[in-house]
This record gives sequence, structure tokens and C-alpha cells, in this order.
Amino acid sequence: MVINFLFFVFSFLILLSSLMVVVVQNSVYSVLFLVLSFVSSAGLLLIFECEFLALMFVIVYVGAIAVLFLFIVMMLDIKIVSSNKDTIKYFPVGLILGSIFSLEILVIVNENFKKNFYSSSVNNNYYVNWFDKLDKFSDIESLGQLIFTQYVLQFLIAGNILLLATIAVVVLTINTNSKQKTQNIFKQISRTHKNVLLLT
Amino acid sequence: MTAETLILKEINIFPELFLGIALIYLVLHGTFLSMRNSYPLIQNSMIYLGSLVLILCFILMLNEKLYVLDSITMNNSISNDYSSFISKTLITLLSLICLLMIQPYLNAKKLNQFEYVLLLLFSILGLYILCSSNDLITAYLAIELQTLSFYVLAAFNRNSTFSIDAGIKYFILGSLSSALFLFGSSLIYGVSGTINFSEFKDLFVGPLKEYGNYQYVYTGSLSEYFSTISESHSLGMSKFISYLSLYLMSNIEDLSNYSLIKEELVDFDVNVLIDQLCVFNVIVEKYDVLLGSHVMEYFKGGIALNNFYDSSPSITLSNNAGFLKFLGTAEYFPLGDIFFGVPLTYFNTEVIAFALMLILISLFFKLAIVPFHSWAPDVYEGSPSSSTFFFSVVPKIAIFILTLRIFYYSFHSFFDTWIYLVSYIIVLSVLVGSFGGLEQRKLKSLLVYSSISHMGYALIAFNSGIFNNLQILFCYLIVYSFSSLCIWSIFIFTRVKNNRLKKQNKDLTDLVALYKSNYTLAGFFSVILFSIAGFPPMIGFLVKINVFSTALESSMYFVALISILCSVIATFFYIRIVKIIYFEKIEVGKLYYPITTEKVFILSGLLWLSIFLFINPTLLFLMSYKFSLLFSYTGC
Repeated sequence: MVINFLFFVFSFLILLSSLMVVVVQNSVYSVLFLVLSFVSSAGLLLIFECEFLALMFVIVYVGAIAVLFLFIVMMLDIKIVSSNKDTIKYFPVGLILGSIFSLEILVIVNENFKKNFYSSSVNNNYYVNWFDKLDKFSDIESLGQLIFTQYVLQFLIAGNILLLATIAVVVLTINTNSKQKTQNIFKQISRTHKNVLLLT
Repeated sequence: MTAETLILKEINIFPELFLGIALIYLVLHGTFLSMRNSYPLIQNSMIYLGSLVLILCFILMLNEKLYVLDSITMNNSISNDYSSFISKTLITLLSLICLLMIQPYLNAKKLNQFEYVLLLLFSILGLYILCSSNDLITAYLAIELQTLSFYVLAAFNRNSTFSIDAGIKYFILGSLSSALFLFGSSLIYGVSGTINFSEFKDLFVGPLKEYGNYQYVYTGSLSEYFSTISESHSLGMSKFISYLSLYLMSNIEDLSNYSLIKEELVDFDVNVLIDQLCVFNVIVEKYDVLLGSHVMEYFKGGIALNNFYDSSPSITLSNNAGFLKFLGTAEYFPLGDIFFGVPLTYFNTEVIAFALMLILISLFFKLAIVPFHSWAPDVYEGSPSSSTFFFSVVPKIAIFILTLRIFYYSFHSFFDTWIYLVSYIIVLSVLVGSFGGLEQRKLKSLLVYSSISHMGYALIAFNSGIFNNLQILFCYLIVYSFSSLCIWSIFIFTRVKNNRLKKQNKDLTDLVALYKSNYTLAGFFSVILFSIAGFPPMIGFLVKINVFSTALESSMYFVALISILCSVIATFFYIRIVKIIYFEKIEVGKLYYPITTEKVFILSGLLWLSIFLFINPTLLFLMSYKFSLLFSYTGC
């Protein structure tokens, strides 16, 4: 019931966000909607109990898309309000506070979950989940067994496609012709009338 | 465990493995050579190494002859049959010739980057896997491998705006069509639970429309039954009944011993059949398109049996795999005097028909067939001529093989969902190809429109739905590929010796009075043009007339009429080139760069092939007949 509801929520989010990717004018917003759609598809995968795939979705897609986002910000020269002026001033304080906080969490977790409180009492039971011990495959394990045995050919083709993509990017961007005329912006800006015109 | 996954048992992908490993060595070779300070002319060495690799692949394919096993390996994802063998061999041959022919063009255009040959070889690897793929994942990956390298090949000339433009256009539209393919495959997987072509074949074999969703009850004798059919037929009620199969049976207990006596569309004369049949034991099998129903009825001596519980043939029927093979898991039990098919597995075949339509559209995108052709003239015109040469000659065979595997091998039972659509597509593509070619001034775009109309002609043989006509289809594809190989080679060879005209696109007038400067080449060119237009002493005539005869055989009269008329119209622009070459009133022709000897040998071999095959077409017909036999063996 809940899972069905979550499924519809995530599907609706995917549809909406992928629509917004196309519709929205601002390219930054569009990339953010793309990230939202990837995150919600990761949620969908979690519902289907594919934890590994969901996490890979988040790591690979969102990570890669974040890089793409950076590129877009770089290339389009979008004015970002310079809020990072005071970074250095606030950095030590933030570092101290943050490290104290994370240390606290670490200590609490270590203290509380390290030992079983019942281990010295009679209530302690030696329950062994034999199903987990004997039969259970983890997600990564089963994926790996499938990919490296049954779908090994497809895996190889995918590797070839990646190699091809690398070569293609190199072909389309490499500048082999060193005689090509390029614009040196620093040189242009630093020219003044004094070092150009020689009036004697 | 992982070491045992790629052992010598999987030798049937040996050429692909060899090509893939050779590609990595070629990357190393090119990288080390081009990193030197004194940058050498690397394209020649790469082209020769690439042709060496292709020749070795060719030898590996011919040497193994593993297709006699007709095996499906790599966990049912690679089928190793005659069709994949012959198409892979042809692709190797075509791309080898192609690679040798584009060498002067690459050197003249100063496309001196070693990656060009690498990308070509990557796409050939993709085409190999595409030819032998036996499931949708492998097919999709192969298509991606092939088209990704094509996008880069189109955009390879980075200094030209047209080339970049062509690359981007090709990329966007090609990825759209790939997305359609993926969408269709995921729908098919969601409905049927498998992606394997052989399993599709087992699942959807026979002219079965739909499992389940029907109610049809009839009680009475055979003659009454037929009379009701004829009445409702006259009222226009039962025009949806698409199939009516009658099985004649000798004995009620021996249900496996039956023979199919009549299976056709419902327009037969019902009364004649009643007279013939009412003395026999008959099983009537009926498919209703509208209701999606499938009914089997049993009649004994023309009178429907009243009490099936006594004779209890239901168990016999449901257990008799020889008889009910095509019904899969359906369970049969009698009610009144009629067999009911109650399905245990519910497939919504409408979804599968929809998904198949998506896959068909995506494959037609790749083949540049008319409603999906609009990228082709721009891309072919913009990209470097060597890439266009490769695009228009090599990949068509492989994509057609995949289309046949999907639409004939696995989903032939869905034939009537796409036959009308494909008829329209044929008429449109033939019309657009013929009339669009009339107003082209550039040789390249003229050849593009010619290829569009030729793909339309090839689709005629595809659309007839008869397995034997695949022979004609394959013949047509082979002949088309070799003729266009010849034409494009001549196109590459006629480089005008003029600095002013160093632009990429060649006008038709560049060939003016070619016969004065190089009369042999002019003769070759006109012979090949006549062959591709379909004039008698060349092979183009034979395959074209075969295609039209298949259209007539399968009652596509309108399509045949339109395509024959359009082929007459298309002849105009082929003949116009011949006229420009020979009969233009001009005093001074153009000077061309000379052609090297080995290329002339290849070209004359191709020309000889086109005439020799007309005199003795046995080789071609035998090869393609074997090809078509394979599909018909695996079909119904």
C-alpha cells in the first residue's frame, strides 16, 4: 500500500521533473530538474529493492550531472552573488564546530552499538539467521554474478562503447594543429597605448 | 570462474573478439606514432593496418564455417547461423573495399588523424554484433556502438561548419531513434518477460492474434455454423474474422493425426466448403481480430458433438503437444458442443504491437526511409564524403538483418499489424526518392535520394510477408550495396584539379565531359548508373524485376504500379548524369587527379561483377536462397 503510493509519487516526480527539464528557460534550473529526476528514479529503484543500482544512480548520474552543472555555470558566465567572500574567515570556526559534532556522533554510535546489553544476561540468545548465512545474495554479489557470467559479452560491448566515446571526445576536441591562430585574452587586455605606440 | 567465461568454446564470436583486441592495439599504434614531434602522415599506415585487420577477420569467418551448427551461444545472445555469417562476410568485404577507396580523399582533405580508421573499425565491430545478435540488449548495444562512431565520423572534419552541423543533427535524431528502440524493447520485456528472439519465436508462433479476452459460444451443426457465418458476413458482421482454419480429422481418438486443409482469409465460398466438409470430422479454428478471440470447434461428421464429457477428448487435446503446439499453455475444455480456449497466460498483444511499431520506426530511422528520412540529405551532404560513402553503403545490410530477425524470425505472427503501414511507407519513400532526386544539383544529395527510393524497393520484398521473398530482399540489398560502392568510388575518384573548386560538395557539372578526359571511367560510371536504374544487361535489372514480381505475387498491385512508375521517373536523373558526362556541348572539360592502379583493379572487378551476375546470377541467388531458407525454417 505504502509502496504503491511511493511508486506513484516517484513516478509523478520523474514525469514532472523531466517535463520541467525541457520547459524551463534557465539552463541551471533545467539541470537541477534533471538532478531531481535522477534522484527520484533512484528512489524508484529503491522501491524495487535494487539498492546498489539506486546508489550508483545517485553517485554516477548526480555526480556527473553536478560536474555538468559546473561546466554550464562556467561556460555561460552566470553571475553568482559572491557569498563566498568570507569563506576563509568562517572556515576555522566551522571546522571546529563541525569536527566536534561529528566526533560526538562517532563516539555515541560507537558506545551505543558496540556491545549487546543482553550479552551477559540470560536473555541473550544465539539466534542465527540461517537463511542469510546460507542463501542470501547481496545486491552487488548477484549483479556481479550476472554481469560477469551471463552478460559478459554485453559487458564487453559496453566497455567498447566507453572506449569509443573516449576516442570520440579526443578526436572532436584535440588541437593537433599548433599553427592555429588563437586569441590570447591576457595579452590583449594587457596591451596599453604606451607599449604599442612608439612615438619618438 | 570468470576465467572460464571466455573460453574457446565461444569461438563463434572469434572475429569480433579479434577485431576488438586489434582495435586496442591500433589505438596504441596511433597514439605512439602521433605523439612524436615529427608528425608523420599517419593515415596511410592506419588504413593499411585496418585493411589487414579486416582481411584477417574475413579469413577467420571463412575458415571456421561454424554456421553449419546453427547454434546460439553466449547465453542465447549470439546466434550463429547462415544469415549472420553471410552478412558479416559481406560487410567485411564492403568495408574493406570502402576503406581502400577513401584513402586518396582523406589524404587530399588533410584528415590526418589516426582516429578515422579506428572509428570505422568500431562501427564495423558494431555491425558484426548487430548481424549476429539474438536478443534486444545485444542488438541495442550494437546499434549504439555503430551509430556513436557514425556521429563522430560525420563531424570529423572539424574545420567545416557543415560537418559539425551534420554531426550534431545526426546525433540528436539518431539518439531519438535509439530511445524509441529502447522504449519498444522495454515495453516488450514488460509484457512478455523476455528479450530473446528465439523465445519470442516460441511464444508468438503461428497466426495467433491474442490470448484470452473472448467469448464465443455456438451450438449446432457444421452446416448451420457456416450458414450463420455467411449470414453475418453478408450483414457485414464478421468482416473482422481474419483467419478460419479447418483441420480435417480421420478419427476422434487420434487427434494428432490431422491435416490442414484450408487456411485463408474468410472470403471463400462458404457453401462449397460445407458441401465438401460435412461428411468429415472437422476442427474449425477461428481467429477474430475485433474481439481478439480464438475459437476451436470440433465437428464430427458435419454435426457438432453434443457430449464431449463422454468422449473426453479435452485431456487429449490439452496434452497433445503435436496438435496444440501453437496454443502454448492454453487449456481446453468442452462446453456444450464447442471447444473453448481458456487462456492461462494473459498477454495484451496490443502493447506488443505498439512496441513493435516503435521498434519499426526506429529501425526505419536508421535506414532513412521516408517519413523518417529528413535527417539523411543534410547529414549525408554535410559530412565528409568518405564518411558518407561508408554510411550509405555498409550499414544497410546489418540493419535489415536485425529488422528481419525481429519482424520475421520472432514476431511474424504480428504481421498484419504492420503490413498496411509499411505499404504506405513504401509508396511514400519511392515517391519522395524519385521526385526529390529530380531537383538535386549536387551529386551527393542525388545519391541520397536514390538510396531512399532503393530502400523503398527493398521494403517491397520485406512487406510481402512470404519467407521465400526474403531471397529477393537479400539479393536486392547485395546488389544495391555493390552498385552504390561502385558509384561512390567513382565519386571519390573524380577529384577536379582546380584550387578554386576545393569545396566539399560536388556539383553535377563537375563531371561535365568526363569522357574526354577519362573515357574508361566515364564508361564505368554510365554502366553502373544504368545498372542501378534497372537496365537489362546489368544485374540491377534482374533484382528490380524480381522485387516487382514479389509485389504482384502478394497482391500489392497499387504499390507495384506506383513503384514501377517511380522507377521510370528515377531513371531520368540517372540518365541525366550520363548526358552530362557524354553529350554536353562544351569545348573544354575538367582535369582530374589520376587514379592509382590498385583502385582501378578493384573498380573494374566491381563493374565486371555487375555484368557477370546478370549472365550468371546463380551465385547470388543460391546465396540468398540459403539465407531465406534459414528464416523459413525457423518460421511457421
